[in-house]
Amino acid sequence: MLQAIVSGLIVGSIYAIIAQGYYITYITTRTMNFGQGDFLMVGSLLGLTSLTTMMAAGINPLVALLITMIVISGLTAILGWGLERIAIRPLNNNFMSIAWILSTVAVSMMLRNIAMLIWGRNVIPFPSPFGNEVLRFAGVGITMHELFVAVCAILIMACLFIFLKKSMLGKALAAVAFNPDAASLMGINPRMMAILAFALSSVLAGIGGILVGPITNTAFYMGATLGLKAFAAAIIGGLDNPMGILIGGLLLGVIEQVIALGDSAYKDASAFLLILLVLIFMPQGLMGKKVKEKF
Amino acid sequence: MKKWMIYAAIGLALYAVPWIFPNSYYIHMAQGFLYTYIVVVGLNFLVGLSGQLSLGHAGFLAIGGYTIALLTNAGVPFLGGLIAAMVACAIAGAVVAMLSLRAKGPYLAMVTIAFGLLVEIIANRWVDVTGGPAGLYLSDPNLFGFKMGVVEYYWFIALVTILVTVLTDNLFTSRIGRVFRAIGNSEVASATVGVNVRNWKVLAFAISAVIAGIGGALFAFQNAYINSDSFTWDRSILFLIGVIVGGSGTRLGPVIGTVIIFLLPQWVQSLYDYHSLIFGAILLLSLILLPDGIVGGFNRLRHKNKNVKQVTIDNELQKASNQVTWAAERSQTVLNVQKAVMDFGGYRAVDEVDFQLNGPEVRGLIGPNGSGKSTTVNLLTGVYLPTSGNILWKDRDVTSFSPHQMATAGITRTFQNLQLFQELTVVQNVMVGFHLHYRTGFVANLLHTRGFHQEEQRFETEALRLLSFVGLAEKAYEQAGNLSYGEQRLVEIARAMAVKPQLLILDEPAAGASQYEVEKIMKVIRNLKEIGISIILVEHHMEIVMNVCDNITVLDFGKKIAEGDPAHIQNHPHVIEAYLGGEEVTKLVVGK
Repeated sequence: MLQAIVSGLIVGSIYAIIAQGYYITYITTRTMNFGQGDFLMVGSLLGLTSLTTMMAAGINPLVALLITMIVISGLTAILGWGLERIAIRPLNNNFMSIAWILSTVAVSMMLRNIAMLIWGRNVIPFPSPFGNEVLRFAGVGITMHELFVAVCAILIMACLFIFLKKSMLGKALAAVAFNPDAASLMGINPRMMAILAFALSSVLAGIGGILVGPITNTAFYMGATLGLKAFAAAIIGGLDNPMGILIGGLLLGVIEQVIALGDSAYKDASAFLLILLVLIFMPQGLMGKKVKEKF
Repeated sequence: MKKWMIYAAIGLALYAVPWIFPNSYYIHMAQGFLYTYIVVVGLNFLVGLSGQLSLGHAGFLAIGGYTIALLTNAGVPFLGGLIAAMVACAIAGAVVAMLSLRAKGPYLAMVTIAFGLLVEIIANRWVDVTGGPAGLYLSDPNLFGFKMGVVEYYWFIALVTILVTVLTDNLFTSRIGRVFRAIGNSEVASATVGVNVRNWKVLAFAISAVIAGIGGALFAFQNAYINSDSFTWDRSILFLIGVIVGGSGTRLGPVIGTVIIFLLPQWVQSLYDYHSLIFGAILLLSLILLPDGIVGGFNRLRHKNKNVKQVTIDNELQKASNQVTWAAERSQTVLNVQKAVMDFGGYRAVDEVDFQLNGPEVRGLIGPNGSGKSTTVNLLTGVYLPTSGNILWKDRDVTSFSPHQMATAGITRTFQNLQLFQELTVVQNVMVGFHLHYRTGFVANLLHTRGFHQEEQRFETEALRLLSFVGLAEKAYEQAGNLSYGEQRLVEIARAMAVKPQLLILDEPAAGASQYEVEKIMKVIRNLKEIGISIILVEHHMEIVMNVCDNITVLDFGKKIAEGDPAHIQNHPHVIEAYLGGEEVTKLVVGK
């Protein structure tokens, strides 16, 4: 049981990292990348390739990992910028408020197809740079990689919160979220902020991909479920509340692992059942803000 | 009549397919095309008409497919199974709709995604019942003891397709379709003309689910085999691509959409590995370049060169328009607001406001910006539920009524921020206003009975009369969204009049209106009062307020600060202070 909770927290923290990507773009542009999961897949597969090449070249695994994370961040940031340019901005005038859902899904379909052509259809094992050693604390087994994920998650969350709440750029993002017109009168370029938001969101997905790879193994189709679960975490927590998203991610991870103890077949089902339950009683998510429409 | 000939021609063409392509591969493909088309029609109904989104429609396909499969395997006849599948989908659709009623935007998308994935997981894992990925084998479809082969089954599907098409087409062009469109355009405005938005949304979902379920059931018997791999999330997305690329909300869109999502992959089968890439690109390009889809874009081109139907204003219409009346019971329309309070978080927008309306009168509700006028209107029409206090209407407690209940009770309104049904024509906007007065039921609208045609005709004439009353008959067949701001306000008034209310609340009707329109509005107000309708008028335009109001209530910071006839209010020191500020100004203005 305790084991399940610990692994749940680890997986949940990855959900939370990916889900923060939804938060950032949602508050700045009221849109999200529905293909976040496939961006994660790209990060994961690219990360795997770069890691194995570098390790084969005899570079220290830790250094290789660090370089990989930096490279992937850069690449996914470019991907995020591209997404904003081709799938978000051109739709600004679309009569359908939901067009962005479909356009980002379209991009993700293309990415998935390209990934399949490059990396093939099979599951590729992603060896952790930390090896398979299992540490034991009070009967709970935890791999080095999981520990690394936990540390990364805490670091990323801390950086993100500081960035959003304290830095000038983070405040600019929040300003655009609150009132784009006023923000642009204050000299903030909302378009730049939208690009920044999508780049950041994609970087989070990319890093999430490197972290999750050794836990789930990698394949071109890995993104769909992970992206949806991260979305579920964001919805459960409340899309406009980063703290809620963190809690939603952890909650989802733990509940999944605990249910998997009983019947692993319904692990995935539990996530979606949880969403329905949360949304029935709290249509804004657990910690989302209620907005009263004005007429 | 012409419509029926088109359907007959399509029916003949479908009937002839087995002779044109005497090859079981092509007939199989035709079957596939038709059931895919049916599902897309159902989804188009939901997305295009009522503006709701479903990212889990494959779930309904699965429910339809498994219901008929399990039932026929248990010995139920084919047709019985088909009907059971439809019922099961209707229930499932209604449940999903009820779950998603309070959710909006991405939250709503999530509910449908979760539903679709849950069904997929259950189909995949509940192997004892569904067979999971290994699948379920079925017997051949059997119609009243007659075993259908490939060709016969194709004809059966074609027959069902025609039926589905005709019936959804009928719904599109009936008041049912109009109400769905109205809800998609503005939920709150639909509610204030008496539409029970919640029930209608559930209905839309249920109809769409039933149609998808028919598709699923037909699919199940195509190969007499189904397994869980057919009902994935990707499939749901594919159907949605069909709707969007074809042209959501158009009637031909699903045909084009199905060609793209079903026939295209067959033509480029050799490129199987690139299918997602191709579909992704098609979807993205069509969203960017053709936001209304292929058919929608084509229609737009065509409409540019076409004149809209002209209305000839004959004398009779003109004469009738001068006396728009309805049998308003001249009963004492008494509104009694007692200590109404509305809190938003820590902010009290309306603070213990009391006021009474006795009999037909025009009551002005004025006050500086932010004084709680619009919030009061929202309370009176059921849009907001007061934090405390009571609202009595003809001695009935209506405090907790929702907007459509208020409309039924005889209270309706217009909106300060226009809430027209933009995509409908002007006359259709007004016809939605008659919602509470339609008598034909769902079946009459589905089948386009004689009663349906008569009723449509009658309300169209009445709507034209109302429009000619507000001076907009010439624009009756233009899209409401294309009218000028002031004209749109007049349409809103005509729509509210169609409700035939006993209390009409006008929220800043003259904002942005021209002098001509202001006169129109004053004429409307006076006329309504004459026939015994009470009016609450929220307005900044003092000329109107002072000229037409019998009494005026003044709000400031959520509190009532004055009440009385126009002369009294004009000289009331508190009112002047609220508008202009300070004692010194009061002295200057009043001269005391």
